[in-house]
Amino acid sequence: MNCADEERRMGSREMTARLRRLFKAAQTDRRGQGAEAGQQAIEATCLTILALRNDQTADIKPALHAVENSQNKDGSWSAFFGDDAEGCWTTSIVVLSLMLTGREIKCLKSAIRWLLDTKGNEANWLWRWRFQILDRSVQFDPTKYGWSWALDTTSWVIPTAFTVIALRQIHRRGIKRTAAVTERIDLGIQMLLDRMCPGGGWNAGNGVAFGVPYSPYIDATAIALLALAGHEKEPGVQSSLAWLVKRLPGCPSPYSLAWGILALAAYRGVNREVETTLERATNELVALAESDAGADDVSTVAVCALALAAVAGDNVFEVRA
Amino acid sequence: MIELDRRRALISTAGLAVGGMATAKLLPEEMLLRDRRPARSRVAIVSAAAYSEGLADSLTRALRMFGLNLRGKSVLLKPNFVEYIAGVEVNTNPVLVGAAAEAFRHLGARSVVVAEGPGHQRDTYLVLAESGLDAQLRGQKLAFVDLNRDELIKVARRANYTGLEHMWLPRTVLASDFVVSMPKIKTHHWAGVTLSMKNMFGIVPGTKYGWPKNILHWKGIHRSILDICATAPIHFVIADGVVAMEGNGPLHGTHRNLGKIVLADDPVAADFVCAQLMGLNPSLVWHLDRAAHFLGNGSPGRIDLIAEQLPQQIVPFDVLPEFAHLRLRS
Repeated sequence: MNCADEERRMGSREMTARLRRLFKAAQTDRRGQGAEAGQQAIEATCLTILALRNDQTADIKPALHAVENSQNKDGSWSAFFGDDAEGCWTTSIVVLSLMLTGREIKCLKSAIRWLLDTKGNEANWLWRWRFQILDRSVQFDPTKYGWSWALDTTSWVIPTAFTVIALRQIHRRGIKRTAAVTERIDLGIQMLLDRMCPGGGWNAGNGVAFGVPYSPYIDATAIALLALAGHEKEPGVQSSLAWLVKRLPGCPSPYSLAWGILALAAYRGVNREVETTLERATNELVALAESDAGADDVSTVAVCALALAAVAGDNVFEVRA
Repeated sequence: MIELDRRRALISTAGLAVGGMATAKLLPEEMLLRDRRPARSRVAIVSAAAYSEGLADSLTRALRMFGLNLRGKSVLLKPNFVEYIAGVEVNTNPVLVGAAAEAFRHLGARSVVVAEGPGHQRDTYLVLAESGLDAQLRGQKLAFVDLNRDELIKVARRANYTGLEHMWLPRTVLASDFVVSMPKIKTHHWAGVTLSMKNMFGIVPGTKYGWPKNILHWKGIHRSILDICATAPIHFVIADGVVAMEGNGPLHGTHRNLGKIVLADDPVAADFVCAQLMGLNPSLVWHLDRAAHFLGNGSPGRIDLIAEQLPQQIVPFDVLPEFAHLRLRS
């Protein structure tokens, strides 16, 4: 084992230990420093569950129980514990967490049904017609739809990408292999490719608005690429991967850096640039983690821990067979 | 006979109730709201040619004109940080945020915290780091709260433009004694302008409403601005117009060296004056016009300009064609 490997291993251990501390503090201090410490967002809880699922010293069972018990009657999950009983995008990440921790299949069934039934507003013919004929300030193909952040709104990149990842894993694991699942996966992939920024990468959801091309974000691009793994022949995937490889080095934020690493780890072996950037970005993440800049919240620390685990071969967002 | 009268009374009452409800539906929303406009509002236009070290002194002097009692109070600065685009002045300048913090500390504030919840970018720290705000926060030892991920409190709306039953808003904002909206003076491709009221979109938590806060877009941007500003506290405004943005704002417009900072004790009055500085007619911006009926003052007769006056000659900001009607004659 060389020096860099040893540093990474230590970085990974340190990151997991930090996450354990934050997680424990969040469990005991219900009136802490914000949603992630006190109120607890479902997303942050699930990322933590995923990051600590193989850690023997962390007790994630109470968190898993809390997540299962907060499922809405229609099978969905809300944004945070104590939220209104309205399903939202977090359902996809809960499904991933429950699947990867081998939890109740009954709980998953209704959640999968909810994901398959839920559509961005473009799926409605009236809104589609509006976007095709009247409202052309944002250019996109409304026949290609995915999932939204909250009900009764349009499709966006990150919720769609997370749901595609969840459905591809559901399909891969044989939990549900129906035409409805593959149809929604295909449509979600088409939607992601349609909303790509000119030149590659993804913004929140619109590639072009008011005639101006939008700049991609690292995290949105990385999560979309994770959902599209296995589609390397698509020119859009190639250009987006090339954009990420160019943009990631030197990123000052651990959160984006970690998502970038998770995506590059899923595209290992595609070309030399991916390998080199993955190596460099991982070293940068370990260094940033030591400096503590921008890595003081549960979500960020959890994503960092997941990224370092992915470099070591355990990528929870991997969708390939 | 008694039975008939009772029936008639019941029918009449029901008729009145239905009629009343129908009338209420037809009335403009602001007619059903309590008039919260102060008797008079004060606005200070202050010239500033650049984001220089002297800004803190200028702001302290300008703030003193308002005679604010900030001793022992917690101050929350809510700047406008959307995302970082190299070479484009998209955000409230970090130097101005730092200067405001220094000025409020001078005036005896117990604590000053900076808080924001970017609308599209989920990586808030990336926006802070790349825009230079993180360096400013560290230099001034200022705490930052990511409003997209803060603890949330369920709040009853104090206006009903969106039809939402209630709103979830960040505890940090609701618990602060003195909330200061610090917008960048910009045009906006959906709302016409983005000033101190539109800036409050940033307090709406992404955790609940998404990135972007799409539920509110679907309810109507103008309507959402009104519900947010009627429900959340805005005690003061410091608007960054040193370098403003015209054209295709809020992200892809062009710089406009306006050279002004606008301070006000009423967000509606602040936005009316800012729009006039932009050479735009505030009464034609729907949310400003409505807000001036119940939330704050828009009428020049109720606004005291306590520092500089509006310039004699203003070249109107460039706007997208759909907002051409907003432009006043130069």
